Amino acid sequence: MRVALFDYGAGNLHSLGKALEAAGADVVVSSDWDEALALDALVLPGVGAFGHAAAALPTDRTPLRAALRGGMPCLGICLGMQLFFEDSDEADGSGIGLLPGRVTALDAPVVPHMGWNDVATEVDPLFEGLDGLVAYYANSYVCEPEDDGCVIAHSTYAGRTFAAGVRAANSWGVQFHPEKSSADGRRIIGSFVRAATALAADRGRGETRREAAALPWEAP
Amino acid sequence: MLRPRVIVCLDVKDGRVVKGTRFRNLRDVGDPVELARRYEEEGADEIVYLDVSASKEDRGTLLDVVRRTAETLFIPLTVGGGVRSAEDIGPLLRAGADKISVNSAAVRDPGLLTVGAERFGSQCVVASIDAAAEEGGWRCYTHGGSQRTELDAVAWAKECVERGAGEILLTSIDQDGARSGYRLDLTRAVSDAVSVPVIASGGAGRPEHLRDAFTEGRASAALVAGILHDGLTTVGALKHDLTGWGVKVRPASQREAA
Repeated sequence: MRVALFDYGAGNLHSLGKALEAAGADVVVSSDWDEALALDALVLPGVGAFGHAAAALPTDRTPLRAALRGGMPCLGICLGMQLFFEDSDEADGSGIGLLPGRVTALDAPVVPHMGWNDVATEVDPLFEGLDGLVAYYANSYVCEPEDDGCVIAHSTYAGRTFAAGVRAANSWGVQFHPEKSSADGRRIIGSFVRAATALAADRGRGETRREAAALPWEAP
Repeated sequence: MLRPRVIVCLDVKDGRVVKGTRFRNLRDVGDPVELARRYEEEGADEIVYLDVSASKEDRGTLLDVVRRTAETLFIPLTVGGGVRSAEDIGPLLRAGADKISVNSAAVRDPGLLTVGAERFGSQCVVASIDAAAEEGGWRCYTHGGSQRTELDAVAWAKECVERGAGEILLTSIDQDGARSGYRLDLTRAVSDAVSVPVIASGGAGRPEHLRDAFTEGRASAALVAGILHDGLTTVGALKHDLTGWGVKVRPASQREAA
């Protein structure tokens, strides 16, 4: 299973790359969308600022959005999850628009929300075996989906409960950093790689879960 | 609930972890990559490398240590001491640091904090402040505590945050190495003055010192070094005591692998 670890050109991809490899993925660090979308799965890392990352998205968001809606497995971490949405208070520039909603500044006396926080997870393969999850965060912004139906985990900070995890088709977003959340975080990355591997195998057999996709991850 | 953090600091020189008092009488205590991973297993919430190498030639060695660490460490890594200008930030982050901490360089050029925050996000910019009690206030020192500045520590902390720092690493020069507790009045003064997390540093000797830093000092995190490296206690033991006192740190024991 070949996963594109997308590189916006800022920050640390080492731990994430190693965690993906340890889980059995072949990691291709890429800043080329044609290359990335041709692989089996996509990981949007959580380093950098929204404006900078938005500028690294393809000018025409349609093929990327269609690939994800069509079932390409994707893991968006922190900023990567925020990119699933339409826009952000942090900067001009739009996200992928996979999910309706926006990214807003976290209203709290102490920001960034930095450190280990409890995550209340719902039943999802990504969080299997992780009751009582405590994960590492470093965020100043949170996602506000228009429809809460996509939310698969919550955290609370300074009295505010926000989306810790979202899902759309086979795209998972987490506001925390699994690659910095020690053993439990690596388990989440392992679950993603397992799910993506199964989906890639289905694709190899000409099957698709979710909506049928024609060419690699292209929406019908 | 956000958990108070226990952060382990390792002084790194020429690719090795060293130990000494105020940058003097350094002796080799081990391989940073191995030690960092061991502390993660013990339950450390974060690791800080403080590069105490003297020369610029050691930069490559530091980057190599960071790179090797990031391959096996799965908790956040902050690197300090190796940042002298904005150009040093990118390579350290690319090598695998999650945050960089700046001290003397930020005093010399406060714009460094802004450039770092704009380019990489304020969450990866830590302003490191060394302060000593003086004339009823707190004086900032640079260059490992050897150079006095005109800056008041509380005012400087506020300026660092305005300029883009996402966290303050606050070391009491008076307490550093003394093991008689963090300087709680200093910690409290800065924690109350800024809107970003404050890491208390300098003086950890006993578990109750961490408790006091989190409660009285209102710190978000406490830095621990010598008492761990000397084997006087473990991260697990510290967290056990803290939990017993009702300080809800992240549990040190890892979940059994399924």
